[in-house]
Amino acid sequence: MNMTLTDLTKVRRHIEQANGLPNAHYTDPAVFAEERQAILFNNWSGLATASDVPEIGDAVPLTFLGMPLLIVRDKAGQVRVFQNTCRHRGMILVDAPRKIDGVIRCPYHSWCYSTDGRLVSTPHVGGPGQNTHNGIDRALLGLIEIRSHVWMDVIWINISGTALPFEQANADLLARWTEFDKPLYHGGADSRFQLSVNCNWKLAVENYCESYHLPWVHPGLNSYSRLEDHYHIESTGKYSGQGTLVYRQLTNEDGATFPDFDGISDKWDTAAEYVTAYPNVLLGVHRDHTFAIILVPEGPEKTTENVHLYYAHPATDPDLRARNTDQWKLVFEEDIFVVEGMQRGRHGVQFDGGRFSPAMDGPTHMFHDWVASQLEAARNAP
Amino acid sequence: MTDLNSRLLAAHVADDKAALVSLYRQAAAAANDQNAAGFYLTHAYVFALELDHPDAPALRAELIAQGRETVL
Repeated sequence: MNMTLTDLTKVRRHIEQANGLPNAHYTDPAVFAEERQAILFNNWSGLATASDVPEIGDAVPLTFLGMPLLIVRDKAGQVRVFQNTCRHRGMILVDAPRKIDGVIRCPYHSWCYSTDGRLVSTPHVGGPGQNTHNGIDRALLGLIEIRSHVWMDVIWINISGTALPFEQANADLLARWTEFDKPLYHGGADSRFQLSVNCNWKLAVENYCESYHLPWVHPGLNSYSRLEDHYHIESTGKYSGQGTLVYRQLTNEDGATFPDFDGISDKWDTAAEYVTAYPNVLLGVHRDHTFAIILVPEGPEKTTENVHLYYAHPATDPDLRARNTDQWKLVFEEDIFVVEGMQRGRHGVQFDGGRFSPAMDGPTHMFHDWVASQLEAARNAP
Repeated sequence: MTDLNSRLLAAHVADDKAALVSLYRQAAAAANDQNAAGFYLTHAYVFALELDHPDAPALRAELIAQGRETVL
């Protein structure tokens, strides 16, 4: 890329001397565009969930960082992500969620694609009633498929195609949470919600990574989960977050709880962990449920948070599920004034990226350092 | 053909693809020349393909036989 929009040397220092990312990384459209490629397209970013396309033929179009994409569950049951653009004249293929019975037919000239992306029909391409032409090799004109992988029900995509295979890039986290590598059942409509926040997506990550703010911002949560009951989770260049040693299951008036994941070890009786899988997916695991928050950057100062909750069994108590959703929604909403406040603070032109508590902000600094490393790699690329 | 044309237009307006498969097939059968027949047959096939209609393979086979389509 050979351009240097910002100086990242202070970000890459040891935490005791480091500054955070400069303001431009939160406010400047040019830096947003740089990060779009270097951070979000070059790595495995969360896009949506496999539960968004539960049945064969389900198709959901969406826009990710300006790019039109189409999620399809193909006839073999595999989740695929395509560029939602016809190979003929660049028309958007699917403009609203729907079921694909047979093929994806372009609404413009009716070029047709199978759900696994093959171009199967090109009507009149050789003239009226003549559906082939020597100049049109269908084998070369299938839908552009975006590299994708499903883990924890999240559809991860690597738009550049250059990242290591997902299982390699995230091997440490997969190993850490191998006990949760089993069917996760989305709680359904009552277990998903969306928050729209006026901040750069990275601020949501930074806040999520650390427990330092819990007693101040989430006093209710902290009444049973004290600061000293938390620990840092740090895997340089891969993920970071925090864990708690005093997780308590949600119960109703009858003392009922959600069922545990099968075969889970004693460690998880009272432990829970909250990790950001870089760059944009916030994950939480507990003995009886997990959640995923997919951060969708809408612009330098706007982010959509898509929240999904999962359980160990397909049929759980709807009332308890609703309570759990409400509980988490309250926690995440309590964070909004913080992330939006930090966003506004970054318009203070003399703010220098701030400093980190060497004791408490390790996971957050680790994320900054990783972002800086990715940008430097892109800037230094030939 | 005028009646068929009206029914085709109505099926388009209603987005009734099953009807479009049938009506374009009828239009192909009623066409006076091969190219017009191929045109209508192509439309019948495309809507059948989109619909996963049971007649889609037969329509494709017919187009292949006429040199208008290739084997999948």
